[in-house]
Amino acid sequence: MLSRRSLIVQLPAATLAGSVALRAFAADKTVTIGIDLPLTGADAQSAQKIKDGAIMAIDEANEKGGAGGYKLNPLVLDDGTATAGQYDPAQAATNARKMVSDDTVVAAIGPQMSGSGKAMSPILSQGNLATITPSSTNPDITSPKFAGQYRPGGKAIYFRTVTTDAFQGPNMANYYADTLKVKSVYVLDDSGAYGVGIADTFQAQSQKRGLNVLGRDQLNPKEADYTTVLTKIKSLNPDSLYYGGVAQAGVKLVKQSYDIVPTIVKGGGDGMYGPEVLKGAGFPACAGWYATIAAPHVLGDPAVAEWTARFTKKFGEPPEDYSITAYDAANVIIDAIARVAASGKPVNRDNVRDAIQSTKLKTLQGEITFDENGDLVNKVISVFQIVKDDTKPLDDVAYQYKYMGVAPQSA
Amino acid sequence: MNLEAVYLQQLINGLSLGAMYALLALGFTLVYGILELINFAHFNVFMVSSFFGMWALELLGLSGQAVVLTGLPLAGALLFAFIVTMTLAGCLGVAIERLALRPMRAVRGTAAMITTIGVSYILFNVVLLTVGADSKNYPNPMPNVSWALGGATLRLREVLIWGITIVLMVGLQLFVSRSRLGKAMRATAQDAEAARMMGIDVDRVIVTAFFLGSALAGAAALIFGLYYNYTSFVIGYSAGLRAFTAAVLGGIGSVSGAMLGGVIIGLIESLGGQLLAVRWTDVIIFSILVLVLVFAPSGLLGRAAPNKS
Repeated sequence: MLSRRSLIVQLPAATLAGSVALRAFAADKTVTIGIDLPLTGADAQSAQKIKDGAIMAIDEANEKGGAGGYKLNPLVLDDGTATAGQYDPAQAATNARKMVSDDTVVAAIGPQMSGSGKAMSPILSQGNLATITPSSTNPDITSPKFAGQYRPGGKAIYFRTVTTDAFQGPNMANYYADTLKVKSVYVLDDSGAYGVGIADTFQAQSQKRGLNVLGRDQLNPKEADYTTVLTKIKSLNPDSLYYGGVAQAGVKLVKQSYDIVPTIVKGGGDGMYGPEVLKGAGFPACAGWYATIAAPHVLGDPAVAEWTARFTKKFGEPPEDYSITAYDAANVIIDAIARVAASGKPVNRDNVRDAIQSTKLKTLQGEITFDENGDLVNKVISVFQIVKDDTKPLDDVAYQYKYMGVAPQSA
Repeated sequence: MNLEAVYLQQLINGLSLGAMYALLALGFTLVYGILELINFAHFNVFMVSSFFGMWALELLGLSGQAVVLTGLPLAGALLFAFIVTMTLAGCLGVAIERLALRPMRAVRGTAAMITTIGVSYILFNVVLLTVGADSKNYPNPMPNVSWALGGATLRLREVLIWGITIVLMVGLQLFVSRSRLGKAMRATAQDAEAARMMGIDVDRVIVTAFFLGSALAGAAALIFGLYYNYTSFVIGYSAGLRAFTAAVLGGIGSVSGAMLGGVIIGLIESLGGQLLAVRWTDVIIFSILVLVLVFAPSGLLGRAAPNKS
């Protein structure tokens, strides 16, 4: 049964009645943390794992009496739509407006995808509402070069617990050149903000490293047939293929490239790291693909084994690395709220943003500090290869993606 | 691969695509020929049918690419899957006609067409909400047999697709030109009122058109799944729009036009992608749609629209 209080909290808080009621709550000390993720669509499964990571941190804080005495109330919004079939930047913008117009929201977690991030950032900036993304890696959003576009409010509001494609793409190009020792590459992207960005940076660094870039093309994620472009790639006879993009096009690319160019080296970014690839493409097609994540790989670390067990028990499914970055993101916010509360200042957006900016927190992935743009000071790109492990569930990211090491940083 | 081999390979790719588009285009054309209605629900009848096919194959204990059949068991499994998928798809088409379109038949204007858009979105969202949004790994029991053909690769699945498509099209052509019901369909297409006066049961003809069109979409959907080993709730839009373009290009209402249009669109897609870049494919295909609509609205093999006053 719903108590009167939870009923009020669940009302769309943007309504006048809702916000008045919630303001009266200040005595009970509740604040809201917005969460924006593509919970429907092609990326729903990894979005769910990110959400679980964030919810776990919030639940743990609430069990301990909240952050600095403030009870935390998650407001989960979905930016995936049926028409897009995956994340939808237009919906992300709507969600950002919803968060900004709700006074109780003091900080946010998300989005998962850079395309959504580009749409949300200007809106959040005008509301001076800080968000921490656990996975969106497009460098433009936090780059001072585009501050006018994505940060019209002036201050950094887009923080990350992952590093960016300014490192993810180039470092993977270094890995292709140094470790995999390929000589030529064909580059594809999925026409999304993330995909184009990471493919561009990969391509630029490949050229710098003397790799022969044989061509570049763009996949339409809604189209089913990639045999045309793959036949073209086959005719150019490259050593390797790099795909910048997310699972919707990625799954089909994995399937069809297995038929047409089975032997060349194939890899992608963090868009190709997740259960969607394992389930949708399946073995044997996905075996051998490389993927990266823009964070240190700590899932296999014995130090987080206990955390992994707790996560799996709570949600019935194992975490992935971006569950950890989401958990870390939520803890950064919780820590910031606690510090604001301890300082005696009002717990509002402005103060929480400033507290996030000055974060120095030990988390699962190590110590987190942000530079003045909101980017992580630590920049680590981890490389994985899909290697079939028959003894474990075939869609379990933790076992089927084999950790290969850290991609070399450009000097 | 030398240049000829590349073009030969793209020709093979294009013909396989074209076969699918042609089957799908027939559904638009059959319904349009009789009702002069563009049935946008057809997009997602195709999509839903791909799931019917997947479930039919899974019913046989086939999942992923783990089980490979050859010979008679393969033929039996495929026959079973095609019959189940086409029957269910046909029934879905008939249900849409009966529940959503027949009540609109007396209404003039675009109401019926807009209803089909609504039905299309209902199907789309029902699938999204029930089977989920992730890409499905489609069962494929076909062995990975292929032949080298002058540097290009011809796979068993391509041969099967062409074979099945040709059988279905010849069957449809025979049905429309020879059978009583087929003749009734042609009569209704020419003039529904006169056909009714001659004692033709027009409702039955319309139901038949929906059943046949949707069953062919079912066949196309199963072929799609077997060819790409993939389905998802989003596949209807892109394939459907191209098939619709194929129907218009060939001459909407014309059965042989739909076949020709499908093959042409398939070839344009693969050869255009080879010559330019795949990101331009949509631009090329839909420019053709616009040009056809402007300069030859009746299409390649279409008759000029009958003057119904």
